[in-house]
Amino acid sequence: MKRIAIALLGVIVMTGIEASAVTVLCNDNVVEVENTLADPTDLWVSPEDLTRINGFELKPEGACLDSICIPLKQNADSESYVRRDGQPWVNVSTLARRLEQPFVVDHDEGIWSFGAIPATRGSFLTSGMAPDFALEDRDGKTVRLQDFRGKKVLIVTWASW
Amino acid sequence: MKDQGFEIISAAQDTGGEVAAGEIFDDGGATYTTIIDVQHTISSLYNFVNVPSAVWIDEEGKIVRYNEGTYAAKHTMGTFEFGRDDYLPAVRDWIENGADSKYVQTASAVSKNIIARSSDAELAEPTFKLGVYFHLEGDEQRANTYWEQAQALNPDSWNFHRQDWSFTPAEAMINWQEKRMGLGDKPYYQPLGLKKK
Repeated sequence: MKRIAIALLGVIVMTGIEASAVTVLCNDNVVEVENTLADPTDLWVSPEDLTRINGFELKPEGACLDSICIPLKQNADSESYVRRDGQPWVNVSTLARRLEQPFVVDHDEGIWSFGAIPATRGSFLTSGMAPDFALEDRDGKTVRLQDFRGKKVLIVTWASW
Repeated sequence: MKDQGFEIISAAQDTGGEVAAGEIFDDGGATYTTIIDVQHTISSLYNFVNVPSAVWIDEEGKIVRYNEGTYAAKHTMGTFEFGRDDYLPAVRDWIENGADSKYVQTASAVSKNIIARSSDAELAEPTFKLGVYFHLEGDEQRANTYWEQAQALNPDSWNFHRQDWSFTPAEAMINWQEKRMGLGDKPYYQPLGLKKK
């Protein structure tokens, strides 16, 4: 209850005036977000920017990515969702906490760095399914593990150091 | 080996990018897929804590052999020789025999070998990447702050330590020795499980 009260206080404090731009690191992408809501602790973005950041889409039932759906009430302000001047804003940091997704922020520079969502890693940890990735090879071509389905793949890591 | 439905993806865990790792790939004359993995994405996804590490993935995307110190061929560094000769034959056996290869691990063995991270170690991942971001921006002070945090959050990751130290080479060997001494006999790889001849 106390946590909700504090969160609500945070929402009330927010002026609805857009704060400075931030940079969000997620899934190895660097996403520049022009508009955020002023909040000393949390990251509020538009639904469009939420999708750019982590792929989650705002649906009637909540914020969803594939089979994961975080229930989100959109008829009233909450710690996860508010409306300001008719414009909806989603709290990325609250969603991350609900997903137990680790993140760290450098407030001085406005850089948010999000880690993996545990729910997306279950098939790796419990049944040994190889996690997919999209990385550029040295020729600039995107390499995805799923492109090699039907073949055996040996992944090796090394380093110059 | 490509003809037999087999691919190698070699991923250099190098925040130093092409400058650090490119020449080594060139010298090796690689004919397989080569990636310079600036953010250590593969290590992050596969819970690898050091290099070299390796994983075998079958046609359905399932891991059939996981994380081992894979100096796949003998290397020499001055007078110091490391690596082994019996890894490539094991890989060849798998290519030929698939699931019937004696080198393929059971699903439960694979799951057992995958060491889940503590919540602190999970937090170390985005923290390390924040350090990489600042490093690439040329902000070494902030990069160091977050790399040190990442190392404190997951002391088991040699990748984090060694990548950080690579940017201060003068201290790297002392750092490595101190860390190694503190480790005692604690293993950070699964045993290779191949018989030494």
